[in-house]
Amino acid sequence: MNVRIIVKLDVKPPYVVKPLHFEGLKVIATPAELCKKYYMQGADEVYYIDIVASLYQREILLSHIEESAKELFIPFCVGGGVRSIEDFSQLFHRGADKVALNTYALQENPQIINEAAQIFGNQAVVVNIEAKKWDNRWECYSDCGRIQSGKDVIEWAKEVEQRGAGEILLQSVDCDGVGRGFDLELAKKVVQSVHIPVVVTSGAGELKDILELIHYAKPSGVAIASLLHYDKLTISDIKNYLQQNGIKVSACVI
Amino acid sequence: MRHIIGIINYGMAGNIHSIIKAVEKAGGTLKVVNFKEELKNVDKIIIPGVGSFKDAISELKSSDLFDTLKEQIKIKPTLGICLGMQILSSVGFEYGKTEGLCGINAEVRPMLIDAKIPHMGFNTVDVIKPSILFSGIENKEFYFMHSYEVVNFHDVLSTTAYASHQFVSSIQKGNLFGVQFHPEKSREAGIRLFKNFIEFEG
Repeated sequence: MNVRIIVKLDVKPPYVVKPLHFEGLKVIATPAELCKKYYMQGADEVYYIDIVASLYQREILLSHIEESAKELFIPFCVGGGVRSIEDFSQLFHRGADKVALNTYALQENPQIINEAAQIFGNQAVVVNIEAKKWDNRWECYSDCGRIQSGKDVIEWAKEVEQRGAGEILLQSVDCDGVGRGFDLELAKKVVQSVHIPVVVTSGAGELKDILELIHYAKPSGVAIASLLHYDKLTISDIKNYLQQNGIKVSACVI
Repeated sequence: MRHIIGIINYGMAGNIHSIIKAVEKAGGTLKVVNFKEELKNVDKIIIPGVGSFKDAISELKSSDLFDTLKEQIKIKPTLGICLGMQILSSVGFEYGKTEGLCGINAEVRPMLIDAKIPHMGFNTVDVIKPSILFSGIENKEFYFMHSYEVVNFHDVLSTTAYASHQFVSSIQKGNLFGVQFHPEKSREAGIRLFKNFIEFEG
């Protein structure tokens, strides 16, 4: 099966920003501009995460999502501040194909995973896990690595699968935005703990980091942000490199 | 004359917006169908699908579309997408046994394989018999997002391999088409598939 090469947009409306360690922010461009750019480059999917929506309990700014989805004929996953079935519905209405949950499911009401999966189907429900390492275990965080939950990452991964999530987006609070490689152990453990696809993000600094992750952890997909946003690489650079190294990826044909 | 394509609306759970966008991009004229009277006035039908086999059928029944749709797919060119393809079958086994639209003699079963489920991502579609639906896009990659598969032996248009398991990725029986993948999420190849369906004369 092809490894999916996904673009991750961290959005602080109206811009895509790049958090460093989930802290300082750098403005990149508008999400709509980037969606178009990466679609033309041959990305397999786009993950749009509104990084401030849950922090300030604001409504996700729906017009940005609609604008981004307009010319995007690949799957579009949206997350950030999702708290209800009504939120899911609104996001689908504006062009999302999948919706990512984090804070609300983790800290307040995990039952929303079951409800959403029942109504919209498992494939439409993604759970975003922010993991931070403590000795030999990882703990789930929310709100861009700011708030602890006390929940163990592996346990939570199994629980969200049980509850009906169709996919996990796995972030590492420690590695995000640093560009020194992925948390390989974390990725491998989560991938092996569940039967649903796991998309891994946080840490790609160069091409070999991505290859190393795929060899070691065998994720279903890799989500890339900084490497692409700073124009260090294009989607086809990544796909060509992986292909040359024996990894199956979808072609870059638009 | 330009054909009007009716797209079945399932209420809140139905994510029909991506399909509408893609069909319009392909040059089609769409009408969203909520009631059975509207179904009679369209020339072609697209059946999307979100949720489970059981939910989709009960939604069609509660909006009084089921019987009319069952009749109309016999006479009008129809395209079922993902779950919309699955419910064309005679019976499904998601959340119990449910009777489908019976457009094709088939069963819908969970994919029982040793690999990640749902099967998600771009995968190659191997077209095994010539059809206008795949004209110009034979053996392209399309986006899949499913945990169940249609088990059918008579109306297979293409197959796809996932983790050494071969499954039916599209069917055709006369004017009735079904695709397990999402053409609306499959780049320009998907737009082309809609264009082929729009131009299909029946």
